[in-house]
Amino acid sequence: MIGCYDFCAHYEWTFGWLERVGGHALVREYWNEAINHDSQRHARDLIRNEGIPGMLKYWGHTLLEESPDLGFNITHREDVFRIDFHDCPSRGFLLRNGVKNYSDYCDHCMGWTGPMLQEAGYVIDHEHNHRGQCWWEMRPASAKGGHAAPGSVAGAKDVRLRPDWPKDPAALDRYCKANDPDAKIKDVPKA
Amino acid sequence: MIPPDSSDLPYVDTKPQGSADFYYATNATFRFLLNRLGRAGWINYLEELGRGYFSPVNDRWRTGGLPAVARYWRAFFAAEPGARVDVQELPDRVEIHVHECPAIRHLKAGSREIVQEYCQHCYILGTARAEASGLTMRLQGGNGACRHTYATAAAALPPQDMAAIKEARS
Repeated sequence: MIGCYDFCAHYEWTFGWLERVGGHALVREYWNEAINHDSQRHARDLIRNEGIPGMLKYWGHTLLEESPDLGFNITHREDVFRIDFHDCPSRGFLLRNGVKNYSDYCDHCMGWTGPMLQEAGYVIDHEHNHRGQCWWEMRPASAKGGHAAPGSVAGAKDVRLRPDWPKDPAALDRYCKANDPDAKIKDVPKA
Repeated sequence: MIPPDSSDLPYVDTKPQGSADFYYATNATFRFLLNRLGRAGWINYLEELGRGYFSPVNDRWRTGGLPAVARYWRAFFAAEPGARVDVQELPDRVEIHVHECPAIRHLKAGSREIVQEYCQHCYILGTARAEASGLTMRLQGGNGACRHTYATAAAALPPQDMAAIKEARS
């Protein structure tokens, strides 16, 4: 039986298998069709119907279940929903257990939430450091400009204020007002 | 992946059980593979998963024999939320009596459309893992309650009757 205890590990293995069988396109289709439109349809329905309050209901529940020791922080306002991961339960599982079968496991989050939020009318600012730390800001699709300044939305809980957050942008995967997992950028436009 | 000596599982987490909503993703993954790659592609996925991803477990089964198989399944189901399972170790086999399958239970509770082949994955995956470990695997039942058997050659089990594996129903 395929279990849920080690889900993140066989999920990551599956990305590598799909890429070998059908290339990068099949991995992207998997994230959108199987995860966004099927597995996580409860998230999709909530967010399409309720917007930011729906994001709070979905991520508030699911992150508490996956990370009961609160390795994350949620901040929300009328115009933005933000999550700071200080200890991602999913990436952390892989790092602790030395699991790697796919080039960048972290891409799966943008792979399914990107299309989901696009369908709901939102864009994403995001950075991840591949070490279990990342941040996300979801805003209405009409939002423009670059990333908000560190601390301006989440205060001291902003993951970018950690002493171990990379100073070299090249160590980060970065997105600005994006919905596509392949829309990584080097330079973030000014806010 | 190197299994820690302190655990009967090949991977350890900071919490005692997994998150049941991940069963939704497993069910959705099966549907995606069956739709995109057909039954042969789905079987290929499960067999490669069994031989590749699970190779640390298979290695333990090959060297540790039936006691290692029994220890694994006890630890496995203890980490699956909602499972009600008895593991019985006999001289030539290990029988896993699943009184309540945690995956089928959660998928039904969440009103998910369950892939009708869902229960076959335990046989296809289990057989790949058993063969890699010098064992045979059989499955009886399904749709929420079943019996898995992992046996040595001495048990001389009859061939698997695929009709003995029930369709999963939502």
